[in-house]
Amino acid sequence: MTADAKAAPVLDVRDLHVEFTTHGGVVKAVRGASFSVAAGKTLAIVGESGCGKSVSVQSIMGLIPMPPGRITGGAALLHGTDIVRRKIVDGDDVRGNRIGMIFQDPMSSLNPTMKIGDQIAETLEVHRGYSRAKARARAVELLTQVQIPEAEERSQQYPFAFSGGMLQRAMIAMAIACEPSVLIADEPTTALDVTIQAQILDLLAELQRKNGMAIVLITHDLAVVARMADEVAVMYAGEIVERGAVEDVFDQPAHPYTLGLRGALPSRSTERAGLNPIEGAPPDLFAPPTGCGYFARCAHAMRVCEQHHPQQLPVAAGHAARCWLHAPDAPRTHPAIQHRVRR
Amino acid sequence: MTSSESIFRKRIRKFTRLKRGYWSFLLIFGAYFISFFLPLIANSKALVVKYDGHYFFPISGAYHAATEFGVNAIGEADYREIDRAFETEGRGNWVLMPLIPYGPNEPLLDATGSPPNPPSRAHPMGTDDRGRDVLVRLAYGFNISMTFALLVTVIGEGFGIAIGALLGYFGGKLDILGQRGIEIWSSLPFLYTIIIISSVIVPVYLPGQYQLFQPSFWLLVVVLAVFDWMGITYYVRGEFYREKVKDYVAAAMASGVSDTGIVFKHILPNALTPVVSFAPFVIVGNIGSLVALDFLGFGLPAPTPSWGELIGQGMSNLTKWWLVVFPNGVFFLTLLLVVFIGEAVREAFDPREYSRLR
Repeated sequence: MTADAKAAPVLDVRDLHVEFTTHGGVVKAVRGASFSVAAGKTLAIVGESGCGKSVSVQSIMGLIPMPPGRITGGAALLHGTDIVRRKIVDGDDVRGNRIGMIFQDPMSSLNPTMKIGDQIAETLEVHRGYSRAKARARAVELLTQVQIPEAEERSQQYPFAFSGGMLQRAMIAMAIACEPSVLIADEPTTALDVTIQAQILDLLAELQRKNGMAIVLITHDLAVVARMADEVAVMYAGEIVERGAVEDVFDQPAHPYTLGLRGALPSRSTERAGLNPIEGAPPDLFAPPTGCGYFARCAHAMRVCEQHHPQQLPVAAGHAARCWLHAPDAPRTHPAIQHRVRR
Repeated sequence: MTSSESIFRKRIRKFTRLKRGYWSFLLIFGAYFISFFLPLIANSKALVVKYDGHYFFPISGAYHAATEFGVNAIGEADYREIDRAFETEGRGNWVLMPLIPYGPNEPLLDATGSPPNPPSRAHPMGTDDRGRDVLVRLAYGFNISMTFALLVTVIGEGFGIAIGALLGYFGGKLDILGQRGIEIWSSLPFLYTIIIISSVIVPVYLPGQYQLFQPSFWLLVVVLAVFDWMGITYYVRGEFYREKVKDYVAAAMASGVSDTGIVFKHILPNALTPVVSFAPFVIVGNIGSLVALDFLGFGLPAPTPSWGELIGQGMSNLTKWWLVVFPNGVFFLTLLLVVFIGEAVREAFDPREYSRLR
């Protein structure tokens, strides 16, 4: 599976750097993020708030306000062509056409003064040159496809007549209208009820099975990751600190941060009460540390971690981590091993 | 469940439920609509004349000399005179006059005494210092005032919305420079500038040609609109700043909608609330501006029927109460009704009713 992903990534993001100039200085929000996703597969990007998950994908979609934002380096290859800072690639619009995106809060993601059907139709009119009538008919089909009952009537309604879950379905219909090869879902279920969350995730999985699109799923909900993802990229302080197949990353976390995230999950077992958070706070991205970003919070920190920025080191096939513990000459305090011993 | 009502429709429905504002709206715009048919209601020309078996329609603007109707007089027929003459003759000829048989610019010097004449049965609001019927002039003046105020409002607000949208959407240096420019422009004393412009723009004649350039209705509309667009830019700019960071704009961008599409189709309809709420008050302001300019004598060229000019006459003839009470009364009443409309519009567009607590 990981071999496939390596073979033909639909979206391949390489060494992306994004900065924001603010009154307090320059924030290095994304510091060399690399990830890729293959057709029909789902990549989950996880990490805590402010680690650069959303900024990474927004910069790919051209949603970063510039200024103050600036993409200082890197590339996002869609079928091998860089799409960063470009609207049109090979005579085709990229945004909305070859990449679709859905957002966190469906309540505010649709224009309150436009009918649902018209908003979906607009995408088709812009990219496919459909006539108004044809686009509207297609919008109704799409609403049916995302399982909105009475799609014909519903398409004539305004967003405030929809519930949150239905709005997210409408959003999905809008994003997949032009059959994109990549769908970016930026925390698509965070604002929804748990029951609706499951429905939306099932819908995404079903649409993926049908049209074989790649999904980049941004979340901080590890349950969503376990349910949806084929691969996981763990992001911390603007970097991907660990990436690999979902089972590998979950069962054998190779980066102490991933281990900390797992440990912070509320447990149903009775042996320990309460939550088990990671101590400390993420580093100041105005002045990112020269060494490992997790150094100050890491239980396994070594002297090398303070001064030297860790490289992406392989752990197993298709599984890598930015942690000096995986260097050949590192002491044998592999966090995953320790974890297994403790369990 | 069928199609849902847009927020705008809901607001209009709410507006119709606010009785005072809604009735003011019907009254003002009903009167405004009727005022376009004033030439049929108050005019010195007859609607229909039947003379010797032929029908004439002087109201259409056709010129008929007095002699055509067998009256021995020079120039155009005086239809009121002919009406009386035909009645005494009793030969089956007749004249159908408008309801009020006086024109707006017609000096009625046949009344007893010298003008201004006090209210009488023929002239319920009296006549002004040139013997013109005050009621007719007020009625024609209403049409002109409203048309003028609406035009200035539409042009000024339209320009202000465009500028505000531009500044708010693109932001950055354009916004900073644009705002400073607007501040400089706003600090020009509006009334003095207009007075200067009006006194510089005087009728210009070329030898052997007709008049080239003169102060006119349209010139005044443009000049006032040029000074009337700044206020709304602040609100529209602010709305755009607020709306452009919302997710639906990001969603539209992510769908590949162009900048123009985002500005006009997505943000603008969501940014119009202050524009609509302010419009009635802007109209009030513009009616007031025209009246003020006319009062000072820098407004519409004479003999246009204008409220300001009549109020000015009241000022110089304070003892002639009908020249003080009626023009000021009509002016006051109109502004009051438009303010009532504004009050109801503001109430109807209050977003609190539809906002969610977040």
